[in-house]
Amino acid sequence: MAYAFFPGCVSKGGCPELYPAAKMVADKLNIELVELKDVGCTGAGVLSQEVSDPVNARTLAKVEKMGLTMMTICSTCQGVFTQANHRLQSDPEYRDRINQEYLASEGLRYDGTVDVKHFVWILDEEFGLDNLKDLVVHPLEGLKVAPFYGCYLRRPPELMVPKGFEGRKTVLEKTIETLGGEVVNTSGKGKCCGFPILSSSEENSLAMCGDHTLEAKGKGANCMVTPCPLCHLELDGKQDDAGKHKKQDIDLPILHLPQMVGLALGFTPRDMGLNKHLVSTDEIVDILEGVRA
Amino acid sequence: MEITLKFYRFSPGNGSKGDFQEYSLEIDESATVLDALMQVKEDQDSTMAFRGSCRSGFCGDCTMRISRRNRMACSTTVGAAQNEGTISVEPVRLITTTKDMMYDLDYWVYDKYKAVEPWVETDEKAPDKEHVVSNKVVQDLRKVMSCTMCWLCDEGCSTMVVDRKFVGPLALTKAYRSVFDPRDNRTEARLKNLSEKNGMWDCCHCYEASEHCPKGIDPTERIFALRNKAIKANAGIPTVRNHYRSFAKSVKSHGWLDEARLAIETEGLTNIKGQLKQVPLAIKAFRKGKRPLPYFLHEKREGRDRIKRIFEKWEEND
Repeated sequence: MAYAFFPGCVSKGGCPELYPAAKMVADKLNIELVELKDVGCTGAGVLSQEVSDPVNARTLAKVEKMGLTMMTICSTCQGVFTQANHRLQSDPEYRDRINQEYLASEGLRYDGTVDVKHFVWILDEEFGLDNLKDLVVHPLEGLKVAPFYGCYLRRPPELMVPKGFEGRKTVLEKTIETLGGEVVNTSGKGKCCGFPILSSSEENSLAMCGDHTLEAKGKGANCMVTPCPLCHLELDGKQDDAGKHKKQDIDLPILHLPQMVGLALGFTPRDMGLNKHLVSTDEIVDILEGVRA
Repeated sequence: MEITLKFYRFSPGNGSKGDFQEYSLEIDESATVLDALMQVKEDQDSTMAFRGSCRSGFCGDCTMRISRRNRMACSTTVGAAQNEGTISVEPVRLITTTKDMMYDLDYWVYDKYKAVEPWVETDEKAPDKEHVVSNKVVQDLRKVMSCTMCWLCDEGCSTMVVDRKFVGPLALTKAYRSVFDPRDNRTEARLKNLSEKNGMWDCCHCYEASEHCPKGIDPTERIFALRNKAIKANAGIPTVRNHYRSFAKSVKSHGWLDEARLAIETEGLTNIKGQLKQVPLAIKAFRKGKRPLPYFLHEKREGRDRIKRIFEKWEEND
């Protein structure tokens, strides 16, 4: 299995533990990642589509030449790509205009044939969770994990969870169970983490972060797992401030999805970069090592 | 089919928080939940209070939480709503009621609606003939005008959960209708008004509003359009303007996002208080090995020249 790998910005910036963890896990699963280096940021929903669509069309054109499916490890990148790809695929006139105005000068052209998938979708839909289960050497027994999807892996539903792919609605839960962990469901798992409004409305942002992590903690979760590094920046990075906002300690470790998979595949917490998190992950490590029940 | 209807009862005078009351009835599974409610009100309990007018999804009056999902009673069949013969009907969660299922619409809906001044306004002299608006624009605005104010978008909104003062996607969708109407010439003032506290920049663009909208109006994209227009018009709050500009600058020059620079520039280079506020987190992150390098230390991506050309071309077209 080979994929054109789009690592995104945050996995090499604010969450530098994510990129190596994803690479190590893919390697262990014999998933070949051909990294895209000569491509731009998706725009993350901040940049106007008028400029992000041409930048993303350029990336898709390069992947199309490679003849591969593109893999992301960030829900925000995934969401932006899925929506841009939909516009380019469903409107040939629009695609032609972008090809002519922006890509032709570089000898590129996008014909709308590329499929873009998040790593967690690939695990379920292409690699197979049964195959993943066979490779688990360190089941996450005793670990109570709250899945946190955030926004862009499930919405807009007609694009992110289309007909025939309904399993995506529960892909995190299925993955946690495959790895031997226990799922802790929360009402906010599909809501916004708060990150997008950090610069405009910090109080609301921290309230969202606090609500999600406190709910998970209150329901007995030892940790939360997210497929989105932007959610991680908020839920891990701003958790301390969210605790102050809510006037209580939270201390809930937040895992990136590849880290959780890697721990079950036998990688050490340090291999997976858990030591780089702002919220201590000691409790998880103790549980996995059988120190705590 | 025989169903049990669990209907939420609440009277402000009796001091209770409200509770479900059960009614049994025989009704066809193709009937709507609103039909079921009317049948019970007529045959069993005339004191039930709920709203419902057009019975065909046009008026947005009968928004309720039906069997734990937010929807309109007139557009939901008994067969689809029942769970083992039971249907629960209760108010949506982010709006207060005055009795049973009667919402306090003035406070939660109409005041916010009025706040965005949802009418077309111009100081131009009336033209001799009628204004001609292109078909494309009309089609777009007509879609927005199909909003029935059912409030499902606000009910689904992530921000509204933590801050009910947020103006909300409903009112913002109505604002779009005025801002993008070519006959209106108060664009700048409107965008400024929408950028006030509790305004459009509190939207976290989670797409819940679009998922909840029964008319396919896509409120989230409408809010994106308003914000992009505000950025171009130099409206919006300073941190947000800085954020947008810094984001675009670093992608344009380096091909990918310079997160450290974004954090610095979002607060504003001369905003000492804002910069100091970030120091504890920056130190903590640095100690943990999170050290994204800013400005000239930020790695330049291969292909950045091509990305830059795309930005330049876009700026030329703009």
